[in-house]
Amino acid sequence: MDFKFLVDTFFVALSGVPTALIITIISLLIALPLGFLLALTRINQIPVLQRFAQVYVSFIRGTPVIVQIFIVYSSVPLFLTSIFEKYHIDKNVYDINPIWYAFIVFSINTTAIMIEIFRSAISTVSKGQLEAAYSVGLTNVQALRRIIIPQVLVTALPNICTATVNLIKATSLGYAMSLQEITLRAKVAANVGYNYVEAYIDIFLVYLILCSLVEYLFKRYEKRLSKYKIAHA
Amino acid sequence: MLEIKNIHKSFGQNEILKGVDLQIDKGDVVVILGPSGSGKTTLLRCINFLEKADEGYANFGDINVHLKTASKKQIHVIRQKTAFVFQNYNLFNNKTALENVTEGLIIGRKVPKAEAAEIGKKALDKVGLSEKYDAYPSQLSGGQQQRVGIARAVALNPDIILFDEPTSALDPELVGEVLTVMKNIAKEGTTMLVVTHEISFARDVANRVVFMDGGMIVEEGPPNEIFSNPKEERTKQFLKRVLPEDYIYYI
Ligand SMILES: Nc1ncnc2c1ncn2[C@@H]1O[C@H](COP(=O)(O)OP(=O)(O)OP(=O)(O)O)[C@@H](O)[C@H]1O
Ligand SMILES: [Mg+2]
Repeated sequence: MDFKFLVDTFFVALSGVPTALIITIISLLIALPLGFLLALTRINQIPVLQRFAQVYVSFIRGTPVIVQIFIVYSSVPLFLTSIFEKYHIDKNVYDINPIWYAFIVFSINTTAIMIEIFRSAISTVSKGQLEAAYSVGLTNVQALRRIIIPQVLVTALPNICTATVNLIKATSLGYAMSLQEITLRAKVAANVGYNYVEAYIDIFLVYLILCSLVEYLFKRYEKRLSKYKIAHA
Repeated sequence: MLEIKNIHKSFGQNEILKGVDLQIDKGDVVVILGPSGSGKTTLLRCINFLEKADEGYANFGDINVHLKTASKKQIHVIRQKTAFVFQNYNLFNNKTALENVTEGLIIGRKVPKAEAAEIGKKALDKVGLSEKYDAYPSQLSGGQQQRVGIARAVALNPDIILFDEPTSALDPELVGEVLTVMKNIAKEGTTMLVVTHEISFARDVANRVVFMDGGMIVEEGPPNEIFSNPKEERTKQFLKRVLPEDYIYYI
């Protein structure tokens, strides 16, 4: 065991954290509102969108993320090339930072998960509260924002936490598109002297620390949001 | 003050309301009686636009609204004039008792926060919950929750309060406290349209009783007339089932 390598590579792996985090954050920023809206279409039985959400969820959840990555990573460049040619844009698709593909794949993927999470969370808030909100003069948007969403969030938060942790871990698959994230950086460092065990330990530790931290933050936020529940009579 | 004309409502092939007319004057306490499934809840919901009627008009003083084609603005105006007390209370679980009461004032009616808090506290005092301003619904008994529900309606100072079986989800020992609160606000001259199976409330508080069956109003009149001298056979049959023995005996 090469301890100096172990320590050095730990920091190499750590330098991939911002990449993992930015992919996680962008994906969540897209998937949270979109997933919520699509979940609403299923609850409110809006015909076409509801069906779309259903098919979308079963497609995404029924296929491995790594396959989704291969599909996006191989098809989007082809698609872009034809667009660039058509509009005479002088740009090479292979100069595009793979992080953009990661945004696409993980947003698509996380949205499907959020639809499922919100769908079950919304069904725990009674329709009666929505009607009560209307009856005291709140608009649809006001009722959602002030009454429904706060309660849905509390119910959904533990699942959103799990999904976020899974997402962080799943960004490690980004190495398949040569994304400069935690796993790839450490592996590249290991290639030089074949110190794979040390590198994997580092990768392991970095994800462990990162995910524990995220879980801790979620727990604290959950506590704050759910103060109305704790005092159960 | 409120006149309802010819309300029709179907769910799919099922015609639930088959042309209901109702006139309510200021200060009236009107009780609707009727067997399960006769359309009582649906009628109240149509008046408050929680359900969209297929046909019919609501006439509120100077405002006349076609229920089916009402605009968002008209619906908002009617909702400002009505308040609803639900069978299952439907309190906002993420808000304290006081916030439940002030939500409609602050957000729905743009009343300044401090003023809304004053009104809200007064409404909660009125229903005997002065100690519970900051309690969340999960910390309250069913009877207390329903009293918050009533305070939420009262605070809006509506022209009429619609009650849909406000005591039927409660344990028997909690029914009394809610009925007492309802009696008190009736005494203050609040206009009320109440669906209930509490015959004592109808007898003691209502100035009119409406008997509904099969989506229509079968008979209506002052309580003593309806209870002691019903004209329609369907009313008689229904009353025989719901009136306490001793009451029948009186008749
Ligand atoms: N949203 C709905 N969709 C389909 N059918 C409905 C709906 N709401 C009510 N109904 C039906 O309409 C009929 C009348 O219902 P309503 O709730 O108005 O009766 P009710 O007089 O209030 O009865 P109860 O005393 O049991 O509360 C019932 O047969 C019910 O199944
Ligand atoms: Mg009913």
